[in-house]
Amino acid sequence: MLADIITPDLFASALRMATPLALAAIGGTICERSGVVNIALEGIMLCGAFAGVAVTLAVGNAWVGVLAAIAAGVAIAAIHAFTSINLRSDQVVSGTAINILALGLTGFLMEILYGHPGTTEAVETIKPIFRFASERGGGGFLAEVWHWVNTILFSHTPIVYMAIIIAIAMQWAMYNTRWGLHLRALGEHPRAVDTVGVSVLRGRWVAVLISGALAGLAGANLTLEQVGSFTENMTNGRGFIALAANIFGRWTPVGSYGASLLFGFADALQIKLQIFRGEINIPPQFFLMLPYILTVIVLAGVVGRSVGPAAVGKPYEKG
Amino acid sequence: MNSKTIRVLSVLLALILLVAFVPGCAKKTDTGTGTSDGTTPPKSTVKAAMVTDVGGLGDKSFNDGAYSGLQRAEKELGVEIKVLESKEITDYESNIDQLATAGFTPIFAVGFLMTDTVSKMATAFPDTQFGGVDEFFDPVPANVVGLNFKEEEGSYLAGVVAGLATKDSFDSKLNADNVIGFVGGMDIPLIQKFEAGFIAGAKSVNPDVKVISLYAGNFTDQAKGKELGYSLIEQKADVIYAAAGQVGLGTVEACKDKGALFIGVDVDQYETVANSGDVMLTSMIKRVDNAVFETIKAVVDGSFPGGTIKVFGLAEEGVGLAPFHDFESKVPQAIKDAVEKARTDIIAGTITVPTAP
Repeated sequence: MLADIITPDLFASALRMATPLALAAIGGTICERSGVVNIALEGIMLCGAFAGVAVTLAVGNAWVGVLAAIAAGVAIAAIHAFTSINLRSDQVVSGTAINILALGLTGFLMEILYGHPGTTEAVETIKPIFRFASERGGGGFLAEVWHWVNTILFSHTPIVYMAIIIAIAMQWAMYNTRWGLHLRALGEHPRAVDTVGVSVLRGRWVAVLISGALAGLAGANLTLEQVGSFTENMTNGRGFIALAANIFGRWTPVGSYGASLLFGFADALQIKLQIFRGEINIPPQFFLMLPYILTVIVLAGVVGRSVGPAAVGKPYEKG
Repeated sequence: MNSKTIRVLSVLLALILLVAFVPGCAKKTDTGTGTSDGTTPPKSTVKAAMVTDVGGLGDKSFNDGAYSGLQRAEKELGVEIKVLESKEITDYESNIDQLATAGFTPIFAVGFLMTDTVSKMATAFPDTQFGGVDEFFDPVPANVVGLNFKEEEGSYLAGVVAGLATKDSFDSKLNADNVIGFVGGMDIPLIQKFEAGFIAGAKSVNPDVKVISLYAGNFTDQAKGKELGYSLIEQKADVIYAAAGQVGLGTVEACKDKGALFIGVDVDQYETVANSGDVMLTSMIKRVDNAVFETIKAVVDGSFPGGTIKVFGLAEEGVGLAPFHDFESKVPQAIKDAVEKARTDIIAGTITVPTAP
C-alpha cells in the first residue's frame, strides 16, 4: 500500500502543482515587501491564463502566449498599482475589485472572441524539456533509481524549472542588491527611503508590476503547460493559497517556494491517498480538505508567528 | 496630482470596473425568430428560459445540452427563449426570480445544485412551470417536473467497454494490467450513479478488474483533472472514464500525454474536445437536449407533466453510448456485441444497475 502512495509521481506531481502557487507567492512576496498588499494575485493569474491561451490560439506559438500572459499580468497589476499607490485607496478593496474584474473580463472576452463562455478550444501544450526514456538498461536497482530521478527531476515543463530559478534569483537579489535593500526598506520604513532620495512611488510600482508578471507566468503555466485550454475561474483559489504560502514562507522568495511545495505535496498526497478510499472507507471530502486544513493551520500561526513588513498595506504620502 | 484629478480619476476607474464587470454577469438573450433556412417558424406564445449552473454555457456538457434543446424548441416550435448564466451559486435564486418575474414559463434550472432553489421558487411563483434537470423532488410541487436520467445505465455500458478493452490489446495504449479508472467531480449522489454504473458494467464482463475512483472536489479545475489522470495511469489504469465536467478535459490531456484511453461524458466528447481522437474511445451521452425539448413541447401542447419526475434511461434513449469514431475499426466485434447485449438486458429489466457504489 505504501509503495502505491510513495511513488515517483507523488513528488513530480507536488512539483507541478507547486509551480503556479510558487510563482504567484513569490510575486506576492515582492509586492508585500514593498509595502503593497496584493490579494489580486488570483485575478491576475486568471487573466494571464486567459491571455496565454487567447494569444496562442491566435498566433499558434505557445511561447508568444507565455509572453502575452506575462504582459497581461503586468497590465492588470498596473491597475492595482495605480489605485493603491497613486490614488492611495485601500489595497484590499482594490485587490478584491480586480479579482471580480478578472472573472467578469475573461468571461466577457471569451464571449466576444469565441462566441461562448465556458472553455476555450485546446492549444498544443508546451512539452517537457527532457524526454529521457523512463526505463533504462537491465532492470534492477540502478534502473529503479533512474526511474525515480527521471520522473521527479527530468519530467517537467520549462516553467516548472523557471520557478525554481526565479525563487533563488529573487532571494539573492532581495538580500544582495541595492534594489533588494530598497525593496525591503520600502515595506519597513518608506519615509527613510524617501529621505535618501529614492522614489517610494517608483519603487512600489516596480514591485507591483513584477508581482503581476510572476502571477501572469503562473497563469501561463496552468493553461499552456498543464491543461492546454482556458476555463472560466480555472485558477480555483490558487491565488489565495499563494498568499498563504507567502506568509508561511515569511515573506522570502525561497520560503514562498518551499511553502508552495508543501501545499503542492499535500495536494498530490491527497490524490494518492484517495486510491485507497475503497479499502479504508474514508470519504473523499476528507482528503480534499487536506491542503486547505494545512493552510488554516499555517495561517493560525501554529508554525510560528510570522511578522510581515511594518508598512505593508499603508499608502505612502509624501511630505 | 491634486485631489480633484484624483477624484475624477477614481470615478473614471470605478466606471471602467463597472462597465467591465457588468457584461461578465450579463445574460445571454436570444430572441431571434427567423431560422437560418429562411422559413418562418411556427409562432407560439410560450416563453421558455433556462438558468445554467456555474459551469455556464460553453461547458461542452449538460448546460450546452439543455441550451441546444431550447434552441431546437425555438426553431421547431417557435417559442421565445432566454438563458441566464449563473456565475456563482448565489446567482441561482436571482436568475430564476428575474425570469419568472418577466413571465417566462417553463423555466429550466439546469443542475443538481439548484434543487432547493427550485423548490423555493416554485412556491413563490405558483403560476410558473419549472423543469429541474438532474433534480429530484419529494414531493414534487405541482408546477415542477423533475428531469432525471439513469446515468448509471449509460455508465454501465461505458463500464462494459472499459472492462473488456483493458483485457484486450486492440490499441497500443492498452497495457497488460487489469486496471481501469474513474474520475469524479464531486462526491455527490449524482456522480456516484456514474461511478456505480461504470464499476458494475466493468465487473459484469471482467470480474477481476480493479477500478480506481478519484474525485477532484469540483467540476472546473482542469489542472487537478490532469493530476488525477496521471495518478490513475501510474496505477496502470489504461481506460479512464471521467464524470467531472471540465475537470475531465484535464484528464484527457493526461491520457494524451501518458498514453491511456478516455471515455467522455454527457455529450459525444469526440466532437467537442479538439485533438482528442486518438484517446477518445467513446462517450456516455446524456440527452438533456431531448428532455428539455420534450418538456417545452408538452407545455406548447398544454400537457405539462407537472408534479412528476420524468426519468430518462436507455429505454427512453435518454442516455446511451456515442460512436467509437477513430476506434470504430479497432474495437473488436465481441465488445460491440457485449454492449448490445447489456443494452438489451437493461431495457428488458434482466439487469438492474446499482445507483451507489
